[in-house]
Amino acid sequence: MIEVNKIYHSFEIGKKEKKTVIPVLKDVSFQINKGEIVSIVGKSGSGKSTLLNIISGFIKPTEGEVKINNQTVTELSEGEFASFRLQHIGFIFQNFQLIPSMTAFQNVELPLTFKGMNEKERKQKTLETLERVGLAEFKDHYPSELSGGQQQRVSIARALVVNPPLILADEPTGSLDSDTEKSLLAFIKQLNEELGITFLIITHDEEVAEFGHRTIEIVDGHVLEEVAK
Amino acid sequence: MTFKDQFKFVRQNLKKNKSRLFMTVLATAIGVAFLIVLASVGFGLHKSIISDMMQNQLVTQVEIYGKEDSQGLTNEDITYFEEMEGVEAVTRRNELAQMPFFHLDDYTSNTNAIVTHFPSEIKADFKLASGRLPEGENEVVVGYHFTESLIKNGANPEKLYDDEGNINEDYVYTDDLLNKEMDMEVIKLTDGKETKKTISVKIVGIAEKPARDWAYEEHVFISEEILQEVEQFTGVMRGATEMYEGGELDANQSEEVYDYVKVYANNVQEVEGINKTLEDKGYMIYSIANEMKQINVIFLIMKIGLIFIGTIALIIASIGIYNTMTMAVTERAPDIGIMKAIGAHPRTIKNIFLLESTYIGLLGAIFGTIVAYGVSFLVNLSVPFIIQTAFDEAAPEGLLLSYIPWSLTLISVGICLLVTVFSGLRPAKRATKVDVLKAMRREL
Ligand SMILES: Nc1ncnc2c1ncn2[C@@H]1O[C@H](COP(=O)(O)OP(=O)(O)OP(=O)(O)O)[C@@H](O)[C@H]1O
Ligand SMILES: [Mg+2]
Repeated sequence: MIEVNKIYHSFEIGKKEKKTVIPVLKDVSFQINKGEIVSIVGKSGSGKSTLLNIISGFIKPTEGEVKINNQTVTELSEGEFASFRLQHIGFIFQNFQLIPSMTAFQNVELPLTFKGMNEKERKQKTLETLERVGLAEFKDHYPSELSGGQQQRVSIARALVVNPPLILADEPTGSLDSDTEKSLLAFIKQLNEELGITFLIITHDEEVAEFGHRTIEIVDGHVLEEVAK
Repeated sequence: MTFKDQFKFVRQNLKKNKSRLFMTVLATAIGVAFLIVLASVGFGLHKSIISDMMQNQLVTQVEIYGKEDSQGLTNEDITYFEEMEGVEAVTRRNELAQMPFFHLDDYTSNTNAIVTHFPSEIKADFKLASGRLPEGENEVVVGYHFTESLIKNGANPEKLYDDEGNINEDYVYTDDLLNKEMDMEVIKLTDGKETKKTISVKIVGIAEKPARDWAYEEHVFISEEILQEVEQFTGVMRGATEMYEGGELDANQSEEVYDYVKVYANNVQEVEGINKTLEDKGYMIYSIANEMKQINVIFLIMKIGLIFIGTIALIIASIGIYNTMTMAVTERAPDIGIMKAIGAHPRTIKNIFLLESTYIGLLGAIFGTIVAYGVSFLVNLSVPFIIQTAFDEAAPEGLLLSYIPWSLTLISVGICLLVTVFSGLRPAKRATKVDVLKAMRREL
């Protein structure tokens, strides 16, 4: 599903003369198979988010390549990558990233609108997905009118609505209390088992890490070890 | 993303800041209205002048004054004109070289007789107020104001006109003229002795009222046959007598020459070719088509100039649009970031913002056009009134200060859309450049 090959990445800070180069990822390689739930752990600042952003196409790596579904995504242009994301990747963010001026329904509907799906099909699909995350009755609420857990479920619905084979999540439980976290994890498991969706989850949380099939630890920009369960 | 969805999206976005939308649309509308009203003056004056020129002249008509190195226009010339390509008819008129008396019942008129070639007048569509054009011999058509020259016999010349110059109503002929017989009285002078001859003529038609108010037509159109009769009697070309002022016609002149010759083209397209051929052959011509060509060029330049100035107003309005769009992009940067993250193509983002500026431009164009039509209407309504009060004089007939043809509306709306799309380009481009990560971290 995902192949990460010899990724190097460094950030450049400062203006021309005073430029400093901060190497973040060094020779990162690993593979994730279809249907796996893999967690990425590591200390703060170790480069987890950077890695995920590279896989997502939000950052171009300094070196190396990433393949998703046999497509070398690191070669894609910005626009091509956007279309690729729309087709293949769902996102769950730590702080949900919902559009505040849109209702839950409109937020979930948005990816389908970008796909150019016709209105009738779109509405139906959106409603189905909202039902799946148990938020059908909150569909006309704005994000500010929802609890954190509800917002996260809206964002999951938005990720699910296009039926992606892969969902990337950067600390999805970071803003949730432990009860909500548990039900979210259960839901992820359910999606994985029922729909065969592959998950790549960054986490600090021991509980989250243990719940996955496999854990990849990043230390100082290196893949330290892969802990198989 | 389908166009329909983009449009809905844009409308939703615009609702979020109604006052800003209103002000931007207002500025654009003012710009468009200014452009249209300004240019409409060019179009209005052009139209007024052209319609004034065409009021009593046909575009297909070419007047011929004469020919270089030649005494006058002869039958040979007429034949040449008639055989030219695209010529419908050639009319020729001459004035009788004396002013005959026309006796109708108890009334008499002393007026000019115009010798007319009726067959060609029929082809040239001689316009009548009533009756028909002559067919038989001794049939005539009278000018529209002919009755006013008919004075009752034995009228006191001193009482003919009142103090204001109006003719005394008691002396005016009021009966119908059509199908009345008149006696046309011509004279011949031999050695100071005057001999009279009367020819009986019948009025079969009355010419149409001249298009211009001040034009006055009281003459009688007689046929060439009647002229021949007069010439036989006087023995002089055109029946000239010594009485005739300025009538020093060469009595030895053997060939008929024509005073007024007009060529009528089949259609407007032919006129230019006819004019050119005639000018090349050395004829002196006057054609409204020629005149109009020059006027059209002048007005075209004027219109372009006015549209150019008006466009400046639109460019100023477009700065407002640029501002609004830049602010919209800045405000919505976090949303744009999220949209890009979940897979919105940069092109889609760009299209949405371009559509938004175009929509503002379109709203401005629509309201501006409506306002412009209103202003134009009011201007046309008030100008005659203003002229009346300021100069104590009626405004010229048919004056149209402001005229908005469809083409002007289309041009203005086109310019408006062009300018607004152009001013929306940069903000739209900026929107596509929004950094996803920064936007999601609310760092923008
Ligand atoms: N845009 C950037 N410019 C410069 N340096 C950056 C940038 N983004 C991240 N870094 C640096 O890269 C390193 C890795 O950051 P990253 O966000 O990937 O860490 P992380 O593992 O996700 O940490 P955390 O667990 O706290 O989220 C950090 O030292 C950070 O300072
Ligand atoms: Mg992180």
